[in-house]
Amino acid sequence: MFKKKVTFKILLLLIASDILETAVHFFFKKSTFGSSQGQVTDLASMSDFLRVTFSSPFLWAGLLTVAAVFIIWSMILSKIDLSVAVPIASFSYILIPLVSIILLHEQISTLRWVGVFFVLSGVILVSLSSKERTELS
Amino acid sequence: MKQGLLLVLSLIALTSMCDTISQLFLKSTIDSLNFTATHNIIKIFKFIFKLISKPRLWVGFSFSLVSLCVWLVVLSKTDLNFAFSADSMHYIFIALASRFVLKEKMGSRRWLGTGLIVVGIVFVSLS
Repeated sequence: MFKKKVTFKILLLLIASDILETAVHFFFKKSTFGSSQGQVTDLASMSDFLRVTFSSPFLWAGLLTVAAVFIIWSMILSKIDLSVAVPIASFSYILIPLVSIILLHEQISTLRWVGVFFVLSGVILVSLSSKERTELS
Repeated sequence: MKQGLLLVLSLIALTSMCDTISQLFLKSTIDSLNFTATHNIIKIFKFIFKLISKPRLWVGFSFSLVSLCVWLVVLSKTDLNFAFSADSMHYIFIALASRFVLKEKMGSRRWLGTGLIVVGIVFVSLS
């Protein structure tokens, strides 16, 4: 059987995967800057959009990071439940706003920070749910 | 703008569903390999190679590819914060799929925690 407990090591792997995941989204967002934004209306403009996007070096940097995330994520999933790993990985919701402010210069309101707090509480609860199961079994 | 928002939300639902399906394939493939934790980097890479040689995983990857293409369209239409926050439905899909497809035992704490995350992300998207 698999160990269900979220250990410190798995937490470190999850943090690493989250930071890389954040980098992936940053690269992908950057890669769409070259194309005419919001102009995808039909199949022709869709293929045009994909061609411009796929020629951006940012997209390829993003894909390379995806490979690294895949390796780390596979190791995580070999140890814990999917229904634990995915919610815990949601603390990228704390990383993403930070990256958006610093690198993309987007605005973050107070309400968003309240939401971030809810996410954080949820992540903690899910982590505890995993420990609780191990103690019982 | 309202119509555009609805389109973006449906696209995000589509990308979430495809991603959930690919996660299910990945998790079930990994479970079938019975990999035990190790620090040996060679063993880790052997595990990864064994993993990517499974056809079942590539079925999952094809869903990931669809998910990625749709996600790129979403990102071109909206900002990173909004796109990511509306992606909260992903957690509901994952929880339900883990419970009913993978038969993982979901305790009340786990449901509550997942719910809090979704509420948190909805808050984020309302702002």
